[in-house]
Amino acid sequence: MEKVLLKKAFPQWVKKLESYTIYSPQKDGDLWNYEVIKNSEAIDLDYLNTVLSPKKIIFPQREVLLEFSTSNEEELKVKEVLPEEMPAVIFGVRPCDAKALTLTDKVFGGDFKDPYYWKRRNSTALVGLTCNAPPSSNCFCLSVDGSPYSKEGLDILMTDLGDKYYAESFTKKGDELLNSAKALFKTPTAKDKKDLEKIKAESKKKVKRQIKDTAKIPPKLKDMFDSPFWDEESLSCIRCGICTYLCPTCHCFDMNDEVTSSSPIQGERVRTWDNCQFPDFTMHSSGHNPRPDKASRLRQRILHKFQYFVELYKNYQCTGCGRCISKCPVGIDIIEVLEKARDYGR
Amino acid sequence: MDDNTYIPRLAKIIEIKEEVGGTRPIKTFRTQFLNMNDFSFRCGQCAMLSVFGRGESMISISSSPLLKEYLQFSILKMGRVTSSLHEMQVGDVIGIRGPYGNSFPVEYWKGKNIIFIGGGIGLAPIWSVLNTALGKKGDYGDLMLIYGARTSKDLVFKEELEELKKKMPVHLSIDVEEPDWKEYVGFVPQNVTDKKPSSKNAIAVTCGPPIMIKFVIKALEELGFKDDQIYTTVENKMKCGIGKCGRCNIGFHYVCKDGPVYSWAELKKLPQEY
Repeated sequence: MEKVLLKKAFPQWVKKLESYTIYSPQKDGDLWNYEVIKNSEAIDLDYLNTVLSPKKIIFPQREVLLEFSTSNEEELKVKEVLPEEMPAVIFGVRPCDAKALTLTDKVFGGDFKDPYYWKRRNSTALVGLTCNAPPSSNCFCLSVDGSPYSKEGLDILMTDLGDKYYAESFTKKGDELLNSAKALFKTPTAKDKKDLEKIKAESKKKVKRQIKDTAKIPPKLKDMFDSPFWDEESLSCIRCGICTYLCPTCHCFDMNDEVTSSSPIQGERVRTWDNCQFPDFTMHSSGHNPRPDKASRLRQRILHKFQYFVELYKNYQCTGCGRCISKCPVGIDIIEVLEKARDYGR
Repeated sequence: MDDNTYIPRLAKIIEIKEEVGGTRPIKTFRTQFLNMNDFSFRCGQCAMLSVFGRGESMISISSSPLLKEYLQFSILKMGRVTSSLHEMQVGDVIGIRGPYGNSFPVEYWKGKNIIFIGGGIGLAPIWSVLNTALGKKGDYGDLMLIYGARTSKDLVFKEELEELKKKMPVHLSIDVEEPDWKEYVGFVPQNVTDKKPSSKNAIAVTCGPPIMIKFVIKALEELGFKDDQIYTTVENKMKCGIGKCGRCNIGFHYVCKDGPVYSWAELKKLPQEY
């Protein structure tokens, strides 16, 4: 379904969606982040990329999996804690971040479906926004099979045509959202369609950064496992973990018991994001560590994204959002690392 | 709740046996589920044990799937959860989820001779498959166990091993000489070389410390064993048990899901990072 919506009518549409929890990027100081919106006028879609991707809504940084308690009769009880059923709409999703969710879908799907992830995922609609211009100077979506107007993972893609949005719906969920305010949406004219194609074509040209010959990288990495390259590239790393913490595709987590009472025992089992750049991520209780140094941990991050994930799912586990580059305190740049790896030993 | 694999089933500890004392103690726990009779597993699979309030630890199931009365785990006291388990008493309740991982391909081993080679606590995963082969002895050829530990006090399943000697050849070893020790003195790989098991129509299963496994494989290769005749198990730090939390991987393999059982032919192809 394709429709156009006048920009000034946008708040009215959002107002019609009152049965949903609405998220959109909100400015906090200099930074943008997804927050729950109470006032439909508060949505500002003229934003730079958010610090964290909408992954944090589907797969929160901290969530309770179960509660355990001992009653007076000393009987141990375990209670499953699933997220509440809460239909939600996320506005202003960048195409790279939506695509990232199609990648975490693969991880949390498979033989064991993760009930916590899917409960939120299935009840959330993603309304994307074409990047008319790149929202970050380090965007490189075109190099990893993406584009500034990719529809992967999105229910609706909106494109800013100046005074109106062009809305393309790709799913039943998306159609429902458009149908909830039928009167506001008009059928696109031939000019609207032409404008859309023009903006899309221009958007691609504006992406400045790129990896050349990305397809050559996975097979090259396969032969570089034991290379001193990883020592060289990881020298400056201070293992802060910000690269994976901000990554929209990273999914690693930890599970721990948080105790609120020790006698009788009471508490929660909690899942939190974890980080392959931390030494204790893989350290056995014996002290043995299969990835004992910065080199092996940088190698894991790069190989997971550009070799192992490709071997498993035929996709890069990177959508080119550029967050890890922009926020790395020591300037480790995944594009540079990959290009150097590609040319290593030549 | 049935389709949420993260929720453990409650089980009661019905028996605890102290296998090894000292600074690296090992205890064997037998458990029974409180409200479940349908836990089925295969040899080599693991289960995630919960001590509520302390956390979870992935432990190999050391009893045979042929045995339905209880699940058995032999556990070396090492980290937070295993230390808590060692403090538990008969009647205490733990959580169990799983089973997880692949298993020894025992169906394909029918008619073959099997040599089990273990070191220390590494006898635990072997114990499940060994007893299964023993329970269906007609299906397999000759069985043999080569097992060793640092000292005679560090050997697990001591009484069971004496019983086992009546049923199949059992070659024990300790690393350094002790006054009353009548069997082999030396490391497990040396004992393998000494006992010269034939590679003909045979499968070797080895579990133990990584360094032992490395040299056992070398010893087996010298005896003519091919890569696909040698099986071992890998262990890594695990949290989820279902290939999602991201830490136990060796290359694109998640040990919790795709392992822990590997033939040397398979393991060789993966990055050597474990």
